[in-house]
Amino acid sequence: MHGDGFLVSIRDRFHAFPSKRFWKSLGVLLAFVGPGIITSNVDNDAGGITTYSLAGAHYGLSLLWLLIPITVALIIIQEMGARMGVVSGKGLSDLIRERFGARITFYLMIVLFLTNLGNTVAEFAGLAASMEIFGLSKYLSVTFGAAFVWWLVVKGSYKSVEKVFLTACVFYFSYIISGFTANPDWGEIGRATVTPSLRFDAGYLTMAVGIVGTTIAPWMQFYLQSSVVDKGLQVEDYPYTRLDVVVGSVMVNVVAFFIIMLCAITLYQAGIRVETAKDAALALKPMAGTYCSGLFAFGLLNASLFAASILPLSTAYTICEAFGWESSLNRKFLEAPQFYGLYSIMIILGAGIILLPNVPLIPIMYYTQVVNGLLLPVILIFILLLVNDRKIMGEHTNGTVMNLLSWLTVAVLIVLSMATVLAAVL
Amino acid sequence: MAAEYEPQVFLFLSQILKKKMIDVKGRLLGQILDVVVPLGEPYPPVSGILVKPDRRRAPVIMPWRNLVEVNGCFVVDTGEADTSWEGGTEAEEIWLKESLLDKQIVDTNGAKVRRVNDLQFLMARGGLYLIHVDVGFRGLMRRVGLEEVTDYFLKGLFEYDLPDQFISWQFVQPLFSPDLLRLNVAESRLAQLHPADIADIIEELDIRQRTAVFQSLDVETAAETLEETDPKIQVTLIENMDVEQASDIIEEMSLSDAADLLADLPRGKAEDILEAMEQDFAEDVKELLAHPEETAGGLMTTAYLSFMPQTTVMEALQVVHREAEDLDFVYYLYVVDEEEHLLGLLSLRELLVALPETCLSDLMFRRVVTVELDEDKDSIASDFAKYGIMAIPVVDDQMRLQGVIMFKDLLEVVAPRLGK
Repeated sequence: MHGDGFLVSIRDRFHAFPSKRFWKSLGVLLAFVGPGIITSNVDNDAGGITTYSLAGAHYGLSLLWLLIPITVALIIIQEMGARMGVVSGKGLSDLIRERFGARITFYLMIVLFLTNLGNTVAEFAGLAASMEIFGLSKYLSVTFGAAFVWWLVVKGSYKSVEKVFLTACVFYFSYIISGFTANPDWGEIGRATVTPSLRFDAGYLTMAVGIVGTTIAPWMQFYLQSSVVDKGLQVEDYPYTRLDVVVGSVMVNVVAFFIIMLCAITLYQAGIRVETAKDAALALKPMAGTYCSGLFAFGLLNASLFAASILPLSTAYTICEAFGWESSLNRKFLEAPQFYGLYSIMIILGAGIILLPNVPLIPIMYYTQVVNGLLLPVILIFILLLVNDRKIMGEHTNGTVMNLLSWLTVAVLIVLSMATVLAAVL
Repeated sequence: MAAEYEPQVFLFLSQILKKKMIDVKGRLLGQILDVVVPLGEPYPPVSGILVKPDRRRAPVIMPWRNLVEVNGCFVVDTGEADTSWEGGTEAEEIWLKESLLDKQIVDTNGAKVRRVNDLQFLMARGGLYLIHVDVGFRGLMRRVGLEEVTDYFLKGLFEYDLPDQFISWQFVQPLFSPDLLRLNVAESRLAQLHPADIADIIEELDIRQRTAVFQSLDVETAAETLEETDPKIQVTLIENMDVEQASDIIEEMSLSDAADLLADLPRGKAEDILEAMEQDFAEDVKELLAHPEETAGGLMTTAYLSFMPQTTVMEALQVVHREAEDLDFVYYLYVVDEEEHLLGLLSLRELLVALPETCLSDLMFRRVVTVELDEDKDSIASDFAKYGIMAIPVVDDQMRLQGVIMFKDLLEVVAPRLGK
């Protein structure tokens, strides 16, 4: 019955304002969506888009089916995080610290910092690559990008930043549009999506694991839960949050679907080998037209900038929360030195590494993947332990079915992330 | 009688946990899991130790009085566990690892929410007294097991001695249990804080702690705290309360703040609260609610002083004396005729220094700066800046006085991020 009462209250709020307050009322309604959709979309970052492009270009439509199980896994994992945020009112690192103690948390945060730093480097690399397609030097684009990210977060309030982020989510449609401009054969694509096919060659399996790994990353669990908490969502609002998570998870995979599909029906069929998302965008130009290629590059730019804004911020919040340091954008630098320090280091190193001449990008990406793969199982197991802790969750722990599903999902993900680690090390 | 020399030893909780406990014959009794202290004393002594014998057996509680030695390892004179331990309620005793270590507390001296990295005890007179909460980086490193490494590193490289950051136990308000907060209302250390500081703290806590802290405050402090809290959080706090309590607290708030809060609440809840309130207060609030929030009508309060022109200074002073406590604004007195037309104003200072028999009409200042009900916040702000006044009266198109805007309330609208 909570839901009903809630709907009534929403309706009342609409009535409470005359028409000129329409936008404010819409804001109230929108107040309950956001965290899930934003988190999922950040997930389609530069690394994600690269992986999807390569998957389509190298293996055609044969990996498309994988997106359906990934969507299910993403929903299962993210739902638990959002639920923990709503019920406990605490962030994930907060809960981990309180439940598992200082030592584990300390080492976990160091690892999280390193992997997020690696990811941030990847985002700035994506930014540089996308602007190079438009003919802009990386020295210009990365410097401006870093300054923009800094300005947005330090000068903006949480609300305005969230609006910018939600707008950025809309730009992911550029991939969907570019998918349509290529005139795909929908029948064949539909068949490929619902028919699981498995090939046992190393490249294919590595690519499959890569797609899973780039979609389900450790940092997003922290980010999602914190933004749910930050919004002050309550248990009564939870059905809306769950919807938000589901919509976000589906959306991210729809975008992934269009990228794989686009590269499959153009590059794969023409037999063009590409190694990066930038190659893919450039190769699309003669085959699918300037618009399509431009849209593709623009999507990469948007995704990189979007994720580059969120990753450093999320990292700083997560770490400060775990150690009980002041963490708020509303404080001055000297009042929250650790927070601003971590945030600055992430951006300066993230952007700075890209600007170094002859930077070994490929090894950096590899090791980031390895650390990601090592961290994910730990985080997932912690999540499962926490979500089943009655002291924290009360009556909102997992049910039997949910536990079965989630342990199964986590087991599969752990096997896959271990495979990523092995593949990268060997 | 000569004072007996007794060495004073400091111990950290992290140095106690997981240590072995043996009896006088050297037999291993188990590993220390947790220690308990009674609440209510300024520096509470450890009263019991939770010991886990081995993997299969359940932990047992050893009373502190059985302990004969603490240096190095913990020795008890008998391995008898205290099976009669009654286990006081959460309001009477506190298990330190379970409820404090790694958790959040409020430092009521610095008015901040901190996280507990370690706890420090003083060994004196045969007892182990909890004296400090360690919230510093050094405490964190001690927990991680890298205290010496960190010291060596910082000393060697930067000539820097990492300081301890302790909070005296007297200034610590634990947050672990809502019950504790509720039962301890009388001695809650939060009451020592300024309501604006409590508001800052509340904004930093999670939803459960927020509600618990808020409900532990007395009605007056709660109202003042609520006035200083972010509007979104105000709403969640009130929504989590029953109507009776909520209306009691809102009645204590200033009229304009109360109206703003009620406007933000869902309509059903707001109506219930209005119903439960005192009649006059509810009427006044409803009147204010009719105006859009960011115009003069929405910013003003109706709890001010107004007098007829023929009132004498003596009479006016008596009214001020009687009513000032319930009013939002007393520094200006407004003079109006029978139909509430605004004639002039005088300040409280002028009233205090005037002769008792003088009529207000002889003292009042006639060229009053006013704004109309639908004036927007920016032009009101420029009036404040231009005339350097503390409040502006709001009038309708007939020059009838409707309310007064205080500078404080305008500031919250034009510069919402200041002071938050």
